[in-house]
Amino acid sequence: METGLFSQPGGTGVSMGRVMAEDAFEAVVGAHHAEIRRYLLRVTARPSDADDLSQETFLRAFRAYRALPPGANVRAWLFTIATNLGRNHFRAQSRRRRAYAAVALEAPTGAPDRTDGRVLADEARVRVEQVIGGLPEKQRLAFIMRKMHELDYAEIGTSLCCSEESARAHVFQALRKIRKGLDGQLSAGTEPRS
Amino acid sequence: MSAMPTSCREIEPHLLASAMGEATPDAVERVRTHVAGCPECREELTRYRAVDGMVDSLRRAPGPDDDATLARAQLTSRLADLRSRMVTFGVFPSPLGPLLIGRSEMGVALVQYLPASGSLTARVRRLLGDEAVEDRAATEGLRAELIEYIEGRRARLAWPLDPRRMRSDFQRRVLEATAALPYGAVTSYAGIAARIGAPSSFRSVAQALRWNPLPIVIPCHRVIGGSGDLVGYAGKRVELKQRLLAVEGVHARPAGDRDFKVHREAMYTLMNGEVEYCLPTCGSLAEHPLSDLTLFGTRERAEAAGFGPCSSCRPDLHPLPA
Repeated sequence: METGLFSQPGGTGVSMGRVMAEDAFEAVVGAHHAEIRRYLLRVTARPSDADDLSQETFLRAFRAYRALPPGANVRAWLFTIATNLGRNHFRAQSRRRRAYAAVALEAPTGAPDRTDGRVLADEARVRVEQVIGGLPEKQRLAFIMRKMHELDYAEIGTSLCCSEESARAHVFQALRKIRKGLDGQLSAGTEPRS
Repeated sequence: MSAMPTSCREIEPHLLASAMGEATPDAVERVRTHVAGCPECREELTRYRAVDGMVDSLRRAPGPDDDATLARAQLTSRLADLRSRMVTFGVFPSPLGPLLIGRSEMGVALVQYLPASGSLTARVRRLLGDEAVEDRAATEGLRAELIEYIEGRRARLAWPLDPRRMRSDFQRRVLEATAALPYGAVTSYAGIAARIGAPSSFRSVAQALRWNPLPIVIPCHRVIGGSGDLVGYAGKRVELKQRLLAVEGVHARPAGDRDFKVHREAMYTLMNGEVEYCLPTCGSLAEHPLSDLTLFGTRERAEAAGFGPCSSCRPDLHPLPA
């Protein structure tokens, strides 16, 4: 009779089912973890940082999840948490960042075959990634959220604590810089260069 | 670029939006009209389209480190750890003053009487740790049952309990023996000490009950002094003990300045180990210390706990005056 006090599984009176809203949060992890990690990988360019920060994003989200109003945009909310963590991370490592950004995500292996059109496209892509890696932080984050994850400008504005208009301006500015960075690699031969 | 005509400068943002496929139909039309007559902007549009296409292919391309499996597995284990430390709590008014109920994934972890004022946050952090989250909805079912209990409309709280706030194995044994006291019954601190096989440790029993993390649920209010005095409860709030006992049919009368006393001659009496309850005057019962006995305020409570009337003193035929 006595030993049962703290060991009755589940009890009989009150359902403990809702305690941590576990199932609902499991579904959130299942639906968004891979994408948030990919976002953070693009942002940090380091798989180990993406692993750590994506975990931290969901641990924070779990703590705050119950306070989220029903019908909230969970995906945009997760992007906001991930963005804040990413920016804090950069602040902590600001000196190291540029060095890593410079080698961002590149995966060229073997000697490129100059006759293959795909290789030329790959080179341009690597160049795009380099330019993106060198963008100012807000432009880079806004650009990645818009063009890689297709968030709308209002959602990006929320993530970056700025207006929708500023979010759009960041993305456009990023695009201009990428376009400049690719001068000479785009539309070769269509028009004579001055 | 500085020599760009005004019309080109004005069209430039629309040109970008157009290349990205997010311009309004109106802007698309303006861009179309402009580039028809402006070869430089036409080429610019082509370049931006090429950039957009390249970015798009970048988006589709799987990255070299795109495997989230390991991070996901680590996350699952860290979430499990966080869950196990997490406590949700609610604070609500009750006839006994403000109460806090905390629950973890294991069960009810804490019930606390709160002072009417003072910083709740600091207190909650101290009691529950950093992973405490207020969630009234999650404790609503518990709150409703506890109020029913306090008001005498419920005699049992069949809750799963979280044992992690037990301070020692000794305290766990004391609390388990206390939880086994029937509704509407009292015994003494020494009585609990005897029940756990440590008859001389009644002071340690009192100490263990003083730190009961689950008052009301684990009914430490049913444990009183050997003389019948209620002695202490929730700090110096012995009146709460008197009220909880009164709800269960055990009436303690004012004694001295602040205390109350359970009078043995007004209680049905059960000798430990017996199955029949008696009048307090039966046989040599009056000579036994309270630690040998369990006292019931009413016959109904003694019988609800599974005990029958004594066949010699017949409390069923000669009930105590109400």
